[in-house]
Amino acid sequence: MTRWLLRDLLPTAAVAAVVLALWKLLVVLGGYPAFVLPAPEVVAARLVQAFADGTMEPNLWATLVEIAIGFAIGAGFAVVTGYLLARSHLVERLLSPYLVAAQATPILALAPLITLWFGTGLLSKVIICALIVFFPVAVATMVGVRSVDRQLLEMGRAFRATRAQVLLKLEVPGALPSIFGGIRVGATLAVIGAIIGEWAGGETGLGVLINLARGSLFDTPLLFATLVTIAALGVTLYLAIAAIEHRLVGERG
Amino acid sequence: MTKHFPHRHSPARRGTAAIGLALLALMTACSPSAPSPSGSPGGSAAATTALTVGLGYVPNVQFAQFYLAQRAGYYRDAGLSVTFENKIDPDLIRLVGLGSVDIGIADGTSVIPAVSQGIPIKYVATIYAKFPNVVYAKASSGINSAADLKGRKLGTPGKYGSSWIMLQALLDSVGLKPSDLDIQLYPDFGQGTALTQSAIDAATGFVNNEVVQLELDGTKAKVLTVDQAVPLPGNGLIAGTRTIETKRAALRAFVAATLRAMAEITADPQKGLDASIAAVPALGQNPTIQLAVLKATIATWSDAYTQAHGAGSIDRAAWSTTVAFIARLPDSPISGTPPTLDQLLDESLLPS
Amino acid sequence: MSARAPSLEVPPGTTREPTPPSAISVRGLDFGYRSGSRARSAVAGLSFEVAHGELVAVIGANGTGKSTLLKLIGGLLTPDAGSIFVDGEAVRGPEARVGLVFQEPRLLPWRSTLSNVAFPLELAGWTSAARVARAAELLELVGLADVADLRPHQLSGGMRQRASIARALALEPSVLLLDEPFSALDALTRERFNDQLQGIWRQTGSTILIVTHSIPEAIFLADHVLVLSGRPGRLAAQVPIELPRPRTVNELDAAIGSAAAATIRGALQLDTRDADPGEVAP
Repeated sequence: MTRWLLRDLLPTAAVAAVVLALWKLLVVLGGYPAFVLPAPEVVAARLVQAFADGTMEPNLWATLVEIAIGFAIGAGFAVVTGYLLARSHLVERLLSPYLVAAQATPILALAPLITLWFGTGLLSKVIICALIVFFPVAVATMVGVRSVDRQLLEMGRAFRATRAQVLLKLEVPGALPSIFGGIRVGATLAVIGAIIGEWAGGETGLGVLINLARGSLFDTPLLFATLVTIAALGVTLYLAIAAIEHRLVGERG
Repeated sequence: MTKHFPHRHSPARRGTAAIGLALLALMTACSPSAPSPSGSPGGSAAATTALTVGLGYVPNVQFAQFYLAQRAGYYRDAGLSVTFENKIDPDLIRLVGLGSVDIGIADGTSVIPAVSQGIPIKYVATIYAKFPNVVYAKASSGINSAADLKGRKLGTPGKYGSSWIMLQALLDSVGLKPSDLDIQLYPDFGQGTALTQSAIDAATGFVNNEVVQLELDGTKAKVLTVDQAVPLPGNGLIAGTRTIETKRAALRAFVAATLRAMAEITADPQKGLDASIAAVPALGQNPTIQLAVLKATIATWSDAYTQAHGAGSIDRAAWSTTVAFIARLPDSPISGTPPTLDQLLDESLLPS
Repeated sequence: MSARAPSLEVPPGTTREPTPPSAISVRGLDFGYRSGSRARSAVAGLSFEVAHGELVAVIGANGTGKSTLLKLIGGLLTPDAGSIFVDGEAVRGPEARVGLVFQEPRLLPWRSTLSNVAFPLELAGWTSAARVARAAELLELVGLADVADLRPHQLSGGMRQRASIARALALEPSVLLLDEPFSALDALTRERFNDQLQGIWRQTGSTILIVTHSIPEAIFLADHVLVLSGRPGRLAAQVPIELPRPRTVNELDAAIGSAAAATIRGALQLDTRDADPGEVAP
């Protein structure tokens, strides 16, 4: 416990303190009013107030739900697709051009269209999240499955593993480190996807709150407080995934 | 045999360092440039004072008076060198508050939350005496008053902004709430098209934009204005408090020249159209539509109050009612104590 | 095949009296690798018998098809011609009665040593408790009981190879095939492991076929040595090793200079004029 405190928490806290100090310095030296660049303590106070008066939480949960469902669907499809791309040359030849083309199209341009077709509710945000998550996870899965040691697969054959056993006991665990790499990227993208989806049209969520704070409420401290919340959300997701990865992948040397 | 883990930074350290860097990047990106001292204090009549004027997002025939005053030399004659900048409303209000833009147009209902958040601006002249954002329907829809909206489908861009305040004010006057209607959201501002296609019964829009489009398409429209319900202040000129102090004379001259152009266009709309096309050639592609928009705009420039007290005059009573109304809205954009009229308004730039 | 070197080959096509089936019976084995339009013959016309409980070494230079032979007997490859019988039944694919130890340990890096050793049992559907018990037994046999919970990357090369041997023994195969299992180890460790393998063989009583390119290793371990040479690999000689059991490493040094060693070396050099003489360890 003490080791974690010294090794991880203290340096992190120190860096954070330096960043906050620089921020405050910038505000003081630049003479920025609160409606342009609020000082860190102003943002902190507004953050606390936003949670206390019920502004932040419902929007936070709304965005979290969009991310969770969108990510689950996107990653789920992506892993299956990635596996098929790895194991079937036909599938790869047929699907690859469309996958790459879809990835190259900026989500910022697609989001308003998706909102137009699927409405301004949860569905369009889930779709946008799923789309943004899909490609990195699919590619990571494909690469991971292909990189599974052929010698291990031959060993599995020697011990008469069935197709399903090869998949579940050899290919999936073997590809897992790579898949998790894709999942880490996907998780951070999912946050972006949710915000973009909300900007394209929505009633609740941290992205909507940003727009409100900026355009209707002219509440710049709230804007910054929302940005901090979004960043914290992203970091929490990333850490959670890292923890799960540590558990499932473990040390493999 | 002791386990040893591969040497790498822990996720916790990496993650929080990332937050720090992201914040640093974000705040540099979000904040506009620092204010710089601008212009000469006072501004004598002999020397030319440069003014940056912020108009709305896109060059439009609605800004005809500015184009005319520029083209006809009214600003130049007053010793002003005027540059126009096109910004969206929220950015414009902040830039005016900072002093980066000297004077600009803003919606009255945006000024109130902005001032309540401490942005140092004042509303100095009325341009739109009538509130331009309205609820409208096809005349054939049978909607003749706000009460008829109950249970009907109404399209609006979102549950925020001037249209949302207008809608709540309109409904409030007949004892309704938005939840009594079937609100459909059109974040891409497609509610006008939806109404034309009868996908919705009514919509919010601008009397000099969506309504004009509908009528030019050959459909008669029924327009419900909010002025009788709650006299929301329409768009007007705003200036930063510091700018008012340092460039008072120049701003007064600007207001006067602009009001003069408005009077001329009211008498002869074609003049306004010509000036607009000269400034923004693209508008010359569909002059019929532009003229219709301009005429509808001119219609909002005056009401009983401005006719009695002069063009550009500010109706304090209307502002007072509006502030009180907005303050008691659920999820009100005003936080804490509502701003006072003296914090919101400055009539010293109007012609006496 | 030359008549010069004394050998005990079984010429192909010879009829045999009805006898109890050999542990391994290979007749007229042909196999070639195909890539695109090119075919490369790996083994040709191989025929030999391995009796029950024998420990037989297969020695040959690189490219003589030793690994291919093992994979054929293990059922991972299908012969182009000829037949392979294990315990009197034709080999149709990988089977529980044949255990395979590869040149590399091929352990799953994400599992503990115990779990790796239990892997064939898991694939065969054993219950968790039964698996743990049997795997513990096997680890005991190869001397890895106290690293049961460690992962492969935490083990030394020799320990990983021992785990691989333990895994191959999991389903009690009557025949154990080892493909140069100790070639990645240093010479001293190798001697030790040869000794341990002899111990495991005596304890389990299984039939063992081990591929090696070390003449001392072959002489130490085997009841008789099959010498493959040429490309494609053919059976150049079958050399019996008459040393008494159990053999010790000290006797090994004497064996190196023995007649059997000379015979083997002679057979290896036959028909390998193209091969690099340095491919076989002296």
